[in-house]
Amino acid sequence: MAYEPQYYPGATSVAENRRKHMSGKVEKLREISDDDLTLVLGHRAPGSDYPSTHPPLAEMGEPECSIRELVEPTPGAKAGDRVRYVQFVDSMYNGPSVPYVRSYSAAINFRGVDPGTLSGRQVVEARERDMEEIAKFQMETEMTCPALASLRGATVHGHSLRLPEDGVMFDMLDRCRKEGDVIIMHKDQVGRPIDKKVNLGKPMSPEEAAKRTTIYRVDNVAFRDDAEVIEWVHRVFDQRTTYGFKPEN
Amino acid sequence: MSDTFSDTNYVQLEIYPSRLLKPETAQNLLNEISDLEGIIRLFIHGPRLPQTVPYGPATGLPVNHSGNAVIEVAGQAIELAVSVGSIRMEVLDVDVKEQVREVCEKVLSVPFEFRVGHFIPTRQTVSDYARRGPNADPLMTGMTDPKGKLKNQSICILRPDDME
Repeated sequence: MAYEPQYYPGATSVAENRRKHMSGKVEKLREISDDDLTLVLGHRAPGSDYPSTHPPLAEMGEPECSIRELVEPTPGAKAGDRVRYVQFVDSMYNGPSVPYVRSYSAAINFRGVDPGTLSGRQVVEARERDMEEIAKFQMETEMTCPALASLRGATVHGHSLRLPEDGVMFDMLDRCRKEGDVIIMHKDQVGRPIDKKVNLGKPMSPEEAAKRTTIYRVDNVAFRDDAEVIEWVHRVFDQRTTYGFKPEN
Repeated sequence: MSDTFSDTNYVQLEIYPSRLLKPETAQNLLNEISDLEGIIRLFIHGPRLPQTVPYGPATGLPVNHSGNAVIEVAGQAIELAVSVGSIRMEVLDVDVKEQVREVCEKVLSVPFEFRVGHFIPTRQTVSDYARRGPNADPLMTGMTDPKGKLKNQSICILRPDDME
């Protein structure tokens, strides 16, 4: 029988959502065009060529190397793209993803990525077109809610703050706004104004966010509710302690 | 240095809504509170909203945050500069406290916590003494950001006649 990765233990909805995010089998909820994505990322002008940092690999004449022969370069690496980043912030108030799960998702489902996990934000560095693929995937699927998660390259403050009255996560640079029943982004991820308002789609209702979230919260699904997760977390910590203990003699 | 302003009978309160308040809601709430008799002093607390982008590639560009509004309380214009997260105040006695609670229940559409405790310093610290000197007004103790510059800090006296 072929091995099927299990990704994450547990029987609760949060554990199930974590498995979905990590396996990449997530539901697509909205459509964001390539130009809109380029606009909000702010690394280059929409429609322009990808600036490159070195000539395409095919023209460079690579040295003979068995590893290079084994590993197919990503499209970005093949073309010699610059390394660029995308950074997400997720609200603690039932945000759809959490930094660790976003990193797992990027590292498991995409190649040539360098995910960075911080307490309130998560950054992925990759060749520009590879990074855009990840950003688009995460923004269009249930991994992101435009109100409870946002693209923030700088000034990320907001994930642990109470939500404002309109339910759109606090952002001191005001990159996202609720207009009518949709969320629009009128600045790029570092806060520079952009030429048009990018429609990020409808926010999730509080009930839907509670259903799709990957955050354990005592007012939703508590971490302690999931006996299997607790068992495995204990096991990991136990073994880390055991194997980390190295007496000199 | 041991000048104290607060009478020991004064009650300190904190209104802590479950959501950060919009400027309009904050204005309604503050107007209702300012109509009450027996409010000694009050300050608004919350995450700061800068006028310009403080760091990153967009440093210096204007932010124009919708929360950074000028509100009018008791006929005076007040620049918010923060997203209103909590309101801390000192009131005359427990009767006024109950009136404040009623106002909150009337104005706020979101659940809120209403706490009695010690939220505003009533005695000068050594740093306060160093910044303000020996003849500082004890009423101002604890009313401004200890890390900010004094000249940038706005304190509004809503009813100057009551001060005398």
